[in-house]
Amino acid sequence: MSFRVDTGEIVGLVGRNGAGKTTTMRSIMGIVRPDQGSVSWREHPVGDADRLRFGYMPEERGLYPQMPVVAQVAYFARLHGMPAESASRAALGWVERLGLGDRGEEKLVALSHGNQQRVQLAVALVHDPELLVLDEPFSGLDPEAVDSLSSQLRDQAAGGKAILFSSHQLELVERICKRVVIVDRGRMLACGSLRELRERFPAQLRVRVDAPPDWASSIIGVKVVRSDEDGVVLVVEPGVDPQAVLRAAQAHGPVEHFGFETAGLVDLYRQMVLG
Amino acid sequence: MTDWAVIRLVAGREISDRVHGRLIRVMTVATALLVVAGVTIPSLIKGSSAPTRIGLVGSPAQVLAPTITRAAAAAKVKVALSDIADQAEARTLITSGKLDVALSAAADSAAVEVKSSLSDTVRAVLQSVLDDAHFRATLAQAGIPAAKVLPALQPVPVTTTVLQPKPADQTARYIAAIAAGLLMYVSLALYGGAVATGVAQEKTSRTAEVLLAAVRPRQLLTGKVLGIGSIGLGQLAIAAAAGLIANAIVSSTKIPSSVVTLLPSFLVCFLAGFLLYAFAFAAAGAMVSRQEEVQMVTTPIALPLLIGYLLVYAALGSPNATWLKVLSFFPPLTATLMPARIALGHVAPWELPLAALIMIASIIGMARLASRIYARGLIHSGPRLSLRAALQLSKGRA
Repeated sequence: MSFRVDTGEIVGLVGRNGAGKTTTMRSIMGIVRPDQGSVSWREHPVGDADRLRFGYMPEERGLYPQMPVVAQVAYFARLHGMPAESASRAALGWVERLGLGDRGEEKLVALSHGNQQRVQLAVALVHDPELLVLDEPFSGLDPEAVDSLSSQLRDQAAGGKAILFSSHQLELVERICKRVVIVDRGRMLACGSLRELRERFPAQLRVRVDAPPDWASSIIGVKVVRSDEDGVVLVVEPGVDPQAVLRAAQAHGPVEHFGFETAGLVDLYRQMVLG
Repeated sequence: MTDWAVIRLVAGREISDRVHGRLIRVMTVATALLVVAGVTIPSLIKGSSAPTRIGLVGSPAQVLAPTITRAAAAAKVKVALSDIADQAEARTLITSGKLDVALSAAADSAAVEVKSSLSDTVRAVLQSVLDDAHFRATLAQAGIPAAKVLPALQPVPVTTTVLQPKPADQTARYIAAIAAGLLMYVSLALYGGAVATGVAQEKTSRTAEVLLAAVRPRQLLTGKVLGIGSIGLGQLAIAAAAGLIANAIVSSTKIPSSVVTLLPSFLVCFLAGFLLYAFAFAAAGAMVSRQEEVQMVTTPIALPLLIGYLLVYAALGSPNATWLKVLSFFPPLTATLMPARIALGHVAPWELPLAALIMIASIIGMARLASRIYARGLIHSGPRLSLRAALQLSKGRA
């Protein structure tokens, strides 16, 4: 597995459960040591000092339940090397920015799940890290919170941070990521922008014919990817004339729709991971 | 950031987190009150020890009053004498609890009546007075002048030379030994347990993962142990100070200065014992998968602590026994057994540096082992680790 995250870039890490997303992130954060391979930052192997400039949000959220919000965020800021005074200031700033200004003195446990999630994000951001590693940051968020976190991430990237996050919500990844890393069983299947990934696969043709859906399966050089109420999605092998496919469709019945589709991340993911 | 800066931060959080808790304040006050009570109550009890009330029935007994008073004073027995007219009245007084002893005497016999028992010291006083009176009466009857015989009855002076003198403050030393053993046992179990619970909390609440993104396991572990240790040390110091102040005010128990000078060595013993045990407790805490399992994993660690405490009582009985001496150098027992031996005053000067060396070496060894188990345990998800599995993991690359 080899990929890079550049400053100002949001990279999405996708793959099924157990594919190795969390292990990858833990390796970057130095929580586990990879069996092999290395993690580099700014052209040198990552050391403890570099990691203090990273921000991390683990998949299983964890903070001190009995510790007041601002004090907690400030504590983590200090663990990342900030002096006491600026740590408190930054903690207060982030707590206010995330809409928890009036809850700052309360214990974490008194907050709702969504608000605890915000505190967790504040902990990852408070020391103004250069790299953000977020494991499933969107899981368990309501749509409004998803939007707010998305725009936070975009702001952070625009501000020059490098961001790596994992998610199962592929539409979301497609929307905010510049590049995507697809992993499976500890290996990287693909890495690149959506357009780059698309180029690795033949174009997909969507055809809707008023006929039984198995009309296409007999055409040589054509593979049925799936079929739904909007017709069938076909992959046409190189050298096969799409016009021939259209004629074959017309032979089965009136063609209601015929056109190439822009494959989304979901389609690409299906083709790569699920085969 | 330097190691120390991180460790100070972690320790500082532990301290402020705990100092702000209500439990710790209650505990501190309770411990201090307990020590104050332990110092003052014995002196209050001693001050109220009542004299034995002796009723002298009939004139033959009543004439003995001055002799009884003198003999009682010589034997350091407190008595209060009163004259009683007859036996019947004496019995009423005894059964109603207004009198302890009724003494009546005849020419060559005497009778004592008590409610249920007669103390040996009071009996000895009365016996000697009666013997003396009887002897003088017999001499007078025989016409022998007492002045001629009595010199012959003077006790032969016996010079006693004590080869191994008991320290004058032996009782105080016994109490100090028991108190030190108990205090060590309770506080090590308490604060060691606090370390295990704290580690388990960080693990099960997944806070550890966020922490480990910024700090090394070794820093986290050291900070936690030192933070909780200083709270324990502080609490012990407060309790000791409260005890000394209370003693200065009441002052009747007279804690010998020799015992007071032991206090610093007790605090050192606590610190050493705490470090040894706290690292073990921390490793245990990192092995659990749920908070409820802490009790189970810490029991094997608390056991040697308990054994060490129980051995203190063996040390009271035979402070010079070789096997106890040897055991007090066995690191898990040193923290409880050594303070007791120091209190009893049978520790040779060379023993303490040796014990300190063994302790330091084993603390270092324990810290190394514990920090490997701790580092692996914290990020291990799934069921509770067995000791074997934890050791196996700790052998891998950390």
